[in-house]
Amino acid sequence: MKRSGFYLLVGIVIFYCLAPLIWQFITSLKPDYELTMIPPVLPKNPTTDHYISVFKGHPFLRIILNSTVVATSTTLLSLAIGSLAAFGLAKLRIGYKTLILGFILSVSMFPPIATVSPLYIIIRGLGLRDTWWALIITYTTFSLPLSIWILVNFFREIPDEIYRAARIDGCTKFQAFYRIMLPLSAPGIFTTAILVFIFSWNEFLFALTFTSTTASRTIPVGIALFPGLHEVPWGDIAAASVVVTIPLIVLVFAFQRRIIEGLTAGAVKG
Amino acid sequence: MRRLLPSLLIFLIIINCAKADRDKKDVVTIIFKHGKIAGDPEPFRQLLERFEKENPGIKIKDETLPASTDEQHQFYVINLEGKSSDFDVLSMDVIWVPEFARAGWLRDLSHLLSEKERDEFFEGPRQAVSYKGRVYAIPWYIDAGILYYRKDLLQKYGFKPPETWQELVKIAQHIISREKGLYGFIWQGKQYEGLVCNAFEYFWSNGGDILKDGKVVIDSPENIEALSFMRDLIAKYKITPPLVTTATEEPTRHIFGSGRAVFMRNWPYAWNIFEKDGSPVKGKVGVAPMPSFPKGRSASTLGGWQLGINRYSRHPEAAERFVKFLTSGEAQKTLALTIGYKPTRKSLYKDRDLIEKQPFIVGLYEVFLNARPRPVSPYYMMMSQVLQPELSAAIAGIKTPDEALKSARRHIDHILEAEK
Amino acid sequence: MKEIESGNRFVVPALLLLSLVTVYPLIYVFYLSLQRRLLIFDISRFVGLDNYIFLLRDDRFWNAMKNTAYFTVVSVSLELLFGLSIALLLNRQFRFRGLVRAIVLIPWAIPTVVSARMWEWIYNTDFGILNYLLGTEINWLGSPSWAMNAAIFMDVWKTTPFVAILLTAGLQIIPRDLYQAAMIDGAGSWAVFRKITLPLLKPVILVVLIFRTLDAFRVFDAVYVLTGGGPANTTETLSIYAYKVLFQTLQFGYGSTLSVIVFLCTGGISLFYVKLLSRGMK
Repeated sequence: MKRSGFYLLVGIVIFYCLAPLIWQFITSLKPDYELTMIPPVLPKNPTTDHYISVFKGHPFLRIILNSTVVATSTTLLSLAIGSLAAFGLAKLRIGYKTLILGFILSVSMFPPIATVSPLYIIIRGLGLRDTWWALIITYTTFSLPLSIWILVNFFREIPDEIYRAARIDGCTKFQAFYRIMLPLSAPGIFTTAILVFIFSWNEFLFALTFTSTTASRTIPVGIALFPGLHEVPWGDIAAASVVVTIPLIVLVFAFQRRIIEGLTAGAVKG
Repeated sequence: MRRLLPSLLIFLIIINCAKADRDKKDVVTIIFKHGKIAGDPEPFRQLLERFEKENPGIKIKDETLPASTDEQHQFYVINLEGKSSDFDVLSMDVIWVPEFARAGWLRDLSHLLSEKERDEFFEGPRQAVSYKGRVYAIPWYIDAGILYYRKDLLQKYGFKPPETWQELVKIAQHIISREKGLYGFIWQGKQYEGLVCNAFEYFWSNGGDILKDGKVVIDSPENIEALSFMRDLIAKYKITPPLVTTATEEPTRHIFGSGRAVFMRNWPYAWNIFEKDGSPVKGKVGVAPMPSFPKGRSASTLGGWQLGINRYSRHPEAAERFVKFLTSGEAQKTLALTIGYKPTRKSLYKDRDLIEKQPFIVGLYEVFLNARPRPVSPYYMMMSQVLQPELSAAIAGIKTPDEALKSARRHIDHILEAEK
Repeated sequence: MKEIESGNRFVVPALLLLSLVTVYPLIYVFYLSLQRRLLIFDISRFVGLDNYIFLLRDDRFWNAMKNTAYFTVVSVSLELLFGLSIALLLNRQFRFRGLVRAIVLIPWAIPTVVSARMWEWIYNTDFGILNYLLGTEINWLGSPSWAMNAAIFMDVWKTTPFVAILLTAGLQIIPRDLYQAAMIDGAGSWAVFRKITLPLLKPVILVVLIFRTLDAFRVFDAVYVLTGGGPANTTETLSIYAYKVLFQTLQFGYGSTLSVIVFLCTGGISLFYVKLLSRGMK
């Protein structure tokens, strides 16, 4: 394929991926009256009004806080519980191992809608509605298949001798796990952390169902329910979208290799 | 141990005194939750202050909810289900009261109104706030669907306002074939509650109904006919543009208010906007009751808001006093004169001041008298969720009116089985 | 001599959490599906298979099933097509490849909700950029004939990167010598693609198909925010219908019945693919 033809195609792919986002960014800079006029594609009088209004008019800062707390806690918990399980599954003898692995994998195929009604009743009964914990526990559970799957693969790659050497040196199983295996699988931990964080940051159905006020509302729900009187505030929504997307874009650019590794771990190696 | 007991006793006594002190404190704060007050908030504030003056010891703190009625409904359902005591008085859309009453969230207010006093109110709202013979809210202000028309255009072509739907079609077709850039008839056809309000007006004016003696009759031949007519307005008579399938109150108000339609169905609120200085249609708008089919009479869907008291309120007596005040004749009259809220008390429509200063409101007396409430049932909200997509499908031509209403019937039957 | 120690303890926390939050609710949802259950009115009654019988004659359910099937088939096909093309493109070494791969990942990384609102604005009838560029006035999201396809295109936009990335990894496993040998033999690029690339890519394609089919079948976020299931339920998928029955009409009994059906369907699809995979492995 000719050089120029190739780069043209790459350009098309880039345009395909970025164009909608760029348009959203442009929209966020247009003052309200310009939004309703279409030629000028570009804003004649760019303004930061929408960005200001996103934070002043709405409790958006609180919503961002909620997402951050929930996503971070989920990631930590999922890593803790997941790495323990992955370690056991990769290096130790466990009864019904294949059954357990199959069970864990099948959970990832669950449709969230199937568990939403009973979970809602349970959470309501426990008085956990509109709290962070409801989301953290749910997200951790549903992210476990992902965590375990990726980490099992990473743990398997560490030679058994290292583990046995640690045990001979006098470590308990847990110490061997904690002091030796974990640090060695740092890249895997890292990858898992990123993927679990993104999953929990973006989750919508459970967040919509379990939260009712801004006390625990997360970003996806905040954007979906963006308040507007009679007309939809497109400019504000665009600004909110941009604000929310930027950390994700940063994550992707910084860790693109790890993310790809994690995503392909199961598909290709498995 | 011996020294502990007396100190404990003293401690307990002090605590209890402090508590009693707080209870005996002079001021009780009533929290009143409501939607956005239309127009100038100042007169409303003054009314609240008047109450506070007449009732020393009670302070009113009013809090505005988001404008969308669906969001307000969600707010109430979530908080009342969680037995919240964060608010005492709530303003409810006419269709929520039976649901809230059945769920046990509203305080029984039957003792606030004697039989004679109940007759003071319009029949429609009276029905809507009663559940199993008890009264759970007091009607605050009323609303009903009306037909707006361009009286200048009708006069130009020598027409009187239509009394039947066929007349409306004829007039609209006649005018838009001779005037450029006009829609014949616009109404709210988006898939939301407003569509149900519109549709019922056609059903009722054709002699049909939704529930009859507890049976679901939404797929009666009269209703199928009426729904076909709605579809025909777009597809056959072509006096209604397809854009109504995504239109709500404000977009249609915009279109009519900029002079681009001959007829519009909407709520009375639009009148004041049309008569403002600078409005392109100032002085050119007339209103009439909704037209009807030969088989029935003119029907208008009842709207409006009612005041109720949270069952979990900590100050029910003070709240009752507030509700009585705000729904009293004087308060309703003040609200009518200042912000155009239409009173729910019939006698006010003969009040001289109102006749003089708000003739438009007084002129709607007959309409309000005959306004019909949507089915007064705790299951109405669920029925509406079933109806909205079916009606929308029929109007968009995706389903035949027959299929749509039959499907609606099946679903509503299923919903109502819950009570059996 | 390989003595493997027992590690049952290590999986206990994970299994505990999974059982409590997924298995127990799953059993509970089956139980709910056999009830007439209205939370706010405190109605709770066992009705046996009533809900399932109603479901069989529920035209709105079959409509949702049809929508979901259409959505799944079309979007997965398009994702595979676009994803494969992008993967083939990115397979060769070039400068900035890392940068391009990062860019390709972005649609995957942003929340579905953000993507939905973004596309909602693009599809806007009066002020949307799409109508402007095409010079049309189509009501994309309000017109029964266009809404579903508009939703599909948005979903394809968002998930093609995931497919592309996975397929790229699969492509990179194919040994270069095979290509060289084929070229020496004089095979054209289309023949190379058909006889070498595709067969060796099959396992990865299958895995991608499993994930994407399940995801598409369970779709909720994107469509719910973009169209709410409208207009007139033409974009209402199974998950959306179940959600509305549960949280708008508050019928927890029938809503659970619908949820169970969704679960059974996804279970069936998974089993089907797993069978395919295990046969492919042999």
